[in-house]
Amino acid sequence: MEVAMEEAVAPSGCSSTTTTMDDDFICAWNDWNPAVDWGSFSSVADDFHELIESMMCPDVVDSPDGLMSVSQTPSYNSSPSSMATSADTPAEEDVGAGGSHDGDEKGLRLVHLLVAAAEALAGPHKSPELARVILVRLKELVLQAGAGAGVGGTSIERLTAHFTDALQGLLDGSTSAHCGGRNSFRDGHLLHHTSDVLTAFQLLQDMSPYIKFGHFTANQAILEETLGERRIHIIDYDIAEGVQWASLLQALVSRPGGSPPPHLRITAVTRGGSRAMRETGRLLAAFAASVGQPFSFSQCRLDADEQFRPAGVKVVKGETLVMNCVLHPTMNNTRSGSASSVASFLRGAVELGAKVVTLVEEEEQEQSEERSFVRRFMGELHRYSAVWDSLEAGFPMQGKARGMVERVILAPRIAGAVGRAYRDSKEEETDGRWGKWMAVMGFGRVRISCFNHCQAKLLLGLFNDGYSVEEDGSNKLALGWKSRRLLSASVWKPPLSPPPPCPPSPIRVGIVTPDGLTASFEDSDFVSD
Amino acid sequence: MFPSKKPTMNSHERPMCVQGDSGLVLTTDPKPRLRWTVELHDRFVDAVTQLGGPDKATPKTIMRVMGVKGLTLYHLKSHLQKFRLGKQPHKEFNDQSAKNAALELQRNSASSSAIMGRNMNDRNMHMNDAFRMQMEVHRRLHEQLEVQKHLQMRIEAHGKYMQNILERAYQTLAAESMVSGGYKGQASRGVPDMGAVKEMGSPVSYPSLQDLHIYGGDQLEMQHQMERPLDGLFPTDDSIMSKKRSNPYHSNGKGPLIWADDLRLQELGSTAACIVSQEEPPPSKSEQLQIASSVIDTGIDADSIANVYEAKPILSMDSSREKKYDGRTSKLDRPSPRRDPLPMEMMNPMITGGAMPQARNLSYGFC
Repeated sequence: MEVAMEEAVAPSGCSSTTTTMDDDFICAWNDWNPAVDWGSFSSVADDFHELIESMMCPDVVDSPDGLMSVSQTPSYNSSPSSMATSADTPAEEDVGAGGSHDGDEKGLRLVHLLVAAAEALAGPHKSPELARVILVRLKELVLQAGAGAGVGGTSIERLTAHFTDALQGLLDGSTSAHCGGRNSFRDGHLLHHTSDVLTAFQLLQDMSPYIKFGHFTANQAILEETLGERRIHIIDYDIAEGVQWASLLQALVSRPGGSPPPHLRITAVTRGGSRAMRETGRLLAAFAASVGQPFSFSQCRLDADEQFRPAGVKVVKGETLVMNCVLHPTMNNTRSGSASSVASFLRGAVELGAKVVTLVEEEEQEQSEERSFVRRFMGELHRYSAVWDSLEAGFPMQGKARGMVERVILAPRIAGAVGRAYRDSKEEETDGRWGKWMAVMGFGRVRISCFNHCQAKLLLGLFNDGYSVEEDGSNKLALGWKSRRLLSASVWKPPLSPPPPCPPSPIRVGIVTPDGLTASFEDSDFVSD
Repeated sequence: MFPSKKPTMNSHERPMCVQGDSGLVLTTDPKPRLRWTVELHDRFVDAVTQLGGPDKATPKTIMRVMGVKGLTLYHLKSHLQKFRLGKQPHKEFNDQSAKNAALELQRNSASSSAIMGRNMNDRNMHMNDAFRMQMEVHRRLHEQLEVQKHLQMRIEAHGKYMQNILERAYQTLAAESMVSGGYKGQASRGVPDMGAVKEMGSPVSYPSLQDLHIYGGDQLEMQHQMERPLDGLFPTDDSIMSKKRSNPYHSNGKGPLIWADDLRLQELGSTAACIVSQEEPPPSKSEQLQIASSVIDTGIDADSIANVYEAKPILSMDSSREKKYDGRTSKLDRPSPRRDPLPMEMMNPMITGGAMPQARNLSYGFC
């Protein structure tokens, strides 16, 4: 992408790419974005991710609002009349150009509109009306492309559709930011998940390593840490359907050494619906029985504030305690729990004297201190474009299947992420911060073994090229698509002494200057191998 | 310039080495080999360090930097490989270097001992390096095979459990639909999006479900299918499939499934199966061929093929697939001969695993 940056195109450059249309609007866009070399775009739609990346490039984004599109918005904001006209011209241009758009041009235009809408919603020149107009326009374009229902159209268009819905949700004021027009399958904990969700989940697992990576890495770490123990007790923050534990159950019975497998007890932390949880427990128990693993299941409810109460967990003497925290929403979760809830859970690990804590969370690309909504919006756009790309790269022909996964699993997560970014309150969970939080709180790092790392690489090898796993620090493996880190699994050891009663929230940790962070790291007694 | 190593230094050990006019020390075997003397090795290390380490340096660049006449790319390539192995015993391989190392070991096993013999009286470093390298590589390969084995089992368990969940869900769904009675009311719940799933399935499906849009009209069809919920979800008209339905929890298929020699075969999920059944998806072509070849070459007949795919009841299978296999037989290449068949008998034929859109060789050094 450096090439694209260097070859800044003068306004005349637009003529080379837009020969089929002499539309002022498009050329005007080019004027506003000299740093983007429109002429150099290939027609590969699945490199959309790189287009986004080019927009995220620091030297482009370093303007006061942190956005490339900032040069456009003044023209929107300063003169409402011109806004009206520019909103009209897109209509003209589409009528004229018909289907002769270059795919990437369209994609970029959609992205620009999205960012402009985000800007309008929460940028320095806030204007909900403008945002509404832009969103309407976006919907038009999306529907035109046939990506209205989240199927059909190109990847870019579908991605835009979901983000548009997310933004629309924000605009409409619903905190869940969920589009009313779609099926709402986000019904919290149903007794049984809709087969839609399960099917999509199955497909997602088949098409990408995202789910399995976290589960297998955590399980392997648990296996290693509990070697030789007679009783293992795992407290799972978000058990979903218990999918993570199937492979652990299997691994426990097939440990080399010939000794009988340890007894495994799993306590699932629930937020209320105990019926669904019992189902999960039954399924797990049945599975354990089928492999011959001694097993028992129990639940533990969060209290009214979604706080984890260690007293609510029955701990048997002599058992090894493991806390498992998968914050990567898998099935029916659009939110993975509020920050304070997760914090209470992790602190509970210290109180209960857990031996190891496994954490799986989404990763942030760059640790920017600027936490503006637009910035985070672009970050989410970048992240999900990477996910989209990874699915498409592996399964270019199975558009419908991908569409389903995108619609059923990813779209709610997009909505949730955008919502969170918008609220950006201190209570909300932030990505990639829990690891740092734990480090600051004095959690020790448990080394990721060679076996674990190797297993992750082998797992990735089962899928298409482009995924990468890298070690980060000594206790974390990060899964990424091309250059974008998406997910990380890390292993921690709770400190022996309880943490201070008022731990800093993750956001505050992030805001602390690098020097401040270093200072707090010095005090903690973590073991870095 | 390369500091010339005096032949006299080595003369007491073996008269076999001569110093060519290029300054390199060559042996006088029938097949002259380059001796990596200490000085030469030091120069090599310097060059590699200059270039940023053994991972960044390439034989070409090293050759350029060293500027030693008579040093060929081949020499440097193999020496670099050994250097990388010996230098970083605790880091993972990339699969390329591991493969190369394995190949090297195989090819050079005879000569390496000979080389070691020649190095015997040289500095200890060389001999230790050679030994260490060999042991490292062997250890690494063994470890990776272990990991692979465990990973297979875990993926298998994972898939089996997913299967259980799905079955339980559909059963409950069936029960619910019966109870609730009204079809229309089930707008968003219950009926999965057949379109996406069908796409992953075979092109042939129940005609009534062909034109599925949203869920409404197909409720009737779904009801009909509910006795065999998975069939309804993933339409198949293969009678073999419907006959062999295995118990979800204790899933032993009609016969043990031979692993064949392809890890991916075991990982066959619905997506992968359907990749196979797609017409010409270029990215997975090689993988299709490999899967097909591995199935066929192990002498499994059509029945077992059904077995294999029945592992995942949600797989669709139809006669056209078998035709496809026939059509492909003539074009099949045996996958890389280096791979050992992993004769794992799977008690659980229900596998969901990662799909393999691109071919990857797993049975050798990997990471």
